[in-house]
Amino acid sequence: MDYSKRKEVGEKWGSPAVSMAWQDQFGVLLSGKVIYGLLLQMLHGRLMRKKTGKKTKAMEHISKMLMRYRSENIKSIICRAGIMVALLMAASAVGYFFRAMELPETDIAIVYLLAVLLTARFTHGYIFNFLAAVIAAFTFNYFFTEPYFTLTVNAPSYIITFIIMFITALITSLLTTHAKQNEMEARKKEAETRALYTLTNRLTDAADINDIAGIATSTISAMLNSNAGCLCFDENGKPEQTFIQQVSPQKQIRREVPDTNALLHRIEGLRTGCDIGSEFYDWPIYGRETTLGIIRVPREAAAVMNESQTRMLRAMIESTALAMDRFRAAQQRIKYHEEIAQERYRGNLLRSISHDLRTPLAGIMGASEMLMNMTPKDDRRYPLMEGIHKDADWLYSLVENILSLTRLQDGKLVLNQEQEAAEEVIGAAIRHISRHHPEYEIAVNAPDELLLVPMDAKLIRQVLINLLDNAVKHAEPEDEIRVAVTKDVDNNCAVFSVRDSGEGIAPADLPDIFQIFYTSRSKHADAHPGIGLGLAICDAAVKAHGGSITARNRLDGPGVEITFTLPLEVNKS
Amino acid sequence: MNPYNANILVVEDDKQIRKFICYLLNGEGFKHTAASTGQGALSILVSEPIDLMLLDLGLPDIDGMEVIRKVREWSDMPIIIVSARDQDKEKATALDLGADDYLTKPFSATELLARIRVALRHLYRQNSGYRAQSVLQVGGLQIDLDKRLLFVDGHETHVTPMEYSLLALFFKNMGKVLTTRQILKEVWGVDYGSDTQALRALMAGLRRKIEENPAKPRYIVTEIGVGYRLVDE
Repeated sequence: MDYSKRKEVGEKWGSPAVSMAWQDQFGVLLSGKVIYGLLLQMLHGRLMRKKTGKKTKAMEHISKMLMRYRSENIKSIICRAGIMVALLMAASAVGYFFRAMELPETDIAIVYLLAVLLTARFTHGYIFNFLAAVIAAFTFNYFFTEPYFTLTVNAPSYIITFIIMFITALITSLLTTHAKQNEMEARKKEAETRALYTLTNRLTDAADINDIAGIATSTISAMLNSNAGCLCFDENGKPEQTFIQQVSPQKQIRREVPDTNALLHRIEGLRTGCDIGSEFYDWPIYGRETTLGIIRVPREAAAVMNESQTRMLRAMIESTALAMDRFRAAQQRIKYHEEIAQERYRGNLLRSISHDLRTPLAGIMGASEMLMNMTPKDDRRYPLMEGIHKDADWLYSLVENILSLTRLQDGKLVLNQEQEAAEEVIGAAIRHISRHHPEYEIAVNAPDELLLVPMDAKLIRQVLINLLDNAVKHAEPEDEIRVAVTKDVDNNCAVFSVRDSGEGIAPADLPDIFQIFYTSRSKHADAHPGIGLGLAICDAAVKAHGGSITARNRLDGPGVEITFTLPLEVNKS
Repeated sequence: MNPYNANILVVEDDKQIRKFICYLLNGEGFKHTAASTGQGALSILVSEPIDLMLLDLGLPDIDGMEVIRKVREWSDMPIIIVSARDQDKEKATALDLGADDYLTKPFSATELLARIRVALRHLYRQNSGYRAQSVLQVGGLQIDLDKRLLFVDGHETHVTPMEYSLLALFFKNMGKVLTTRQILKEVWGVDYGSDTQALRALMAGLRRKIEENPAKPRYIVTEIGVGYRLVDE
């Protein structure tokens, strides 16, 4: 048989077959096999490239496929195989019908192609497409090419038909599957997005943290079809005592946490995404700064979560964290504003008290002073005027002291610290005292070089005035009152001291003199009952500067020495 | 009793204080007018010849600062702030705006009169061409502005050019509180900023040369939180 004849037969589809030599047939089959092999290799090679080039993506892809196959039960596989077989059988039946009608084999081949395409449409997975394509090619060969019911062919051109048929079937089915998969992915994505969107939407309307937790719990429970829970942490990052758990689609309960500390410890030590406990898998909700809470997924549900569910869970936790963070931030803002308003109110109150007291006191003091100036000292009315003036003056200093102490003691006083010359502050204090008690001589020891100390000059001046006032109160005009300031290089601080040579302090009083409202128990108390604010203010002011204050009786003679230090470097904390 | 024959405007919304100040001024022989609001004060200022104003910052209608600002647009009259507000920042602001002095309530009558006298003396010196005088004196401190010489208790004392210009500035504003900002601007130049440390160091150096005890200054006293003043006795 010559080549031209063979060609002729090949061209004439469905014509009586001419027997091919066995060797020839084998050779063609071999070459077909070679092409099959090449095809397979190409496919494989593509996979391999994918693997190396986009390793993570390919791995993900494969693992996804594997996951899918594993998760689907055998029933569905059998079902799909059934569909495939049925379709191919139907195609064969149609093929017989076509042959009976003496239609050419090409039509039959196209019917097979249709069957493969439908298989791709109604089943999913590349394996079935591939199988369908192979089976279709072989079935067509077996039933409809001469010799019938064998896998051999008479005309070598059929080999080409098979191959083209196979490739066409494979490509079309792959395309269909791919499109279908894309669609499925898109649907899944859409469902996920919608679920997340709904969650976010609901979270926006939440009234408080517990509301957020409740919404997150119900949404996550619905997604996992399980009874998830949510444990909130408070502002300090400590877990609450109870957590919310879904018990039915409509009902949530609060359950006690057996050991919050142990739980917190486990969460803090967490390196992976979740902590596996005896009842729950605990997924922490991480906020911007702290852990905001825990999402608790029951063990049995968490163990069988597939990859997309895990992804969803993570996304939902993320949304919850955002909502909680936002809520916390809003809360903090409100609190901050309230504090500011309160602070302003307080400031205004203090200011108006001091203003409203000062003005009438100024009137009383000014008028009484003027009356005194107009009255000869031996007039019997003079002491009365003097009494009015002194009492008004005392009342004034009391008001001042109360105001300073209030400012100092609530710890919110912002020190107006600047580098000030120690000598200037001492000078200003002495000037103040000298104005009120010109009969007292106050000595000063200050270093030759300028000593700059960071301080709130007005406060420290007040400290010195209070100390000097005390000294003046307990000493006679001829007694020595001395203010000194030195630099303590070792402790990097300035040391101020005020000493008098008055009667001193009773040892029993010494430990308490800086206490608020403490006045000396000695009978020598001042004509005015001092209410013991002066030294308390000194104590508070010096401590606000980070210094210390001590009082002791002088060893070198009578009198008291009160010493306080101010650090030369401002402590930023 | 009143060498300068001054007419003083008292701006104070508290009736008792106003009465008391007027009474005090009366006793010292000063002419005076009183206003209880800022607007009232401004209308008096344009219709009457006023030499000095005592101004309360907390007025019912407009802020005292605003009054200072308005007055300074057309007049250099001495303004003494008498206020119950005891905030350094406000003191400095008022002084920077051009107020001459600041008294915090409650103040003593003596103190107020002393401040008024200082301000009037300052005004008188300006009007009588005191500035043309080249030799000025406070206590034992004598400065010769022409020859740029300084005498402490009769002894010529050497000071650096910076110290000299600082001291000269105080002599030109005798008795007046100068804020840190004003001094920095005058001595160091415009926009020197707020390097108060440099000023403190300069002041310490100057005091060591002119004061017996720098911690108990006789001449230049510190107004804590505000600035300095050359005492005018």
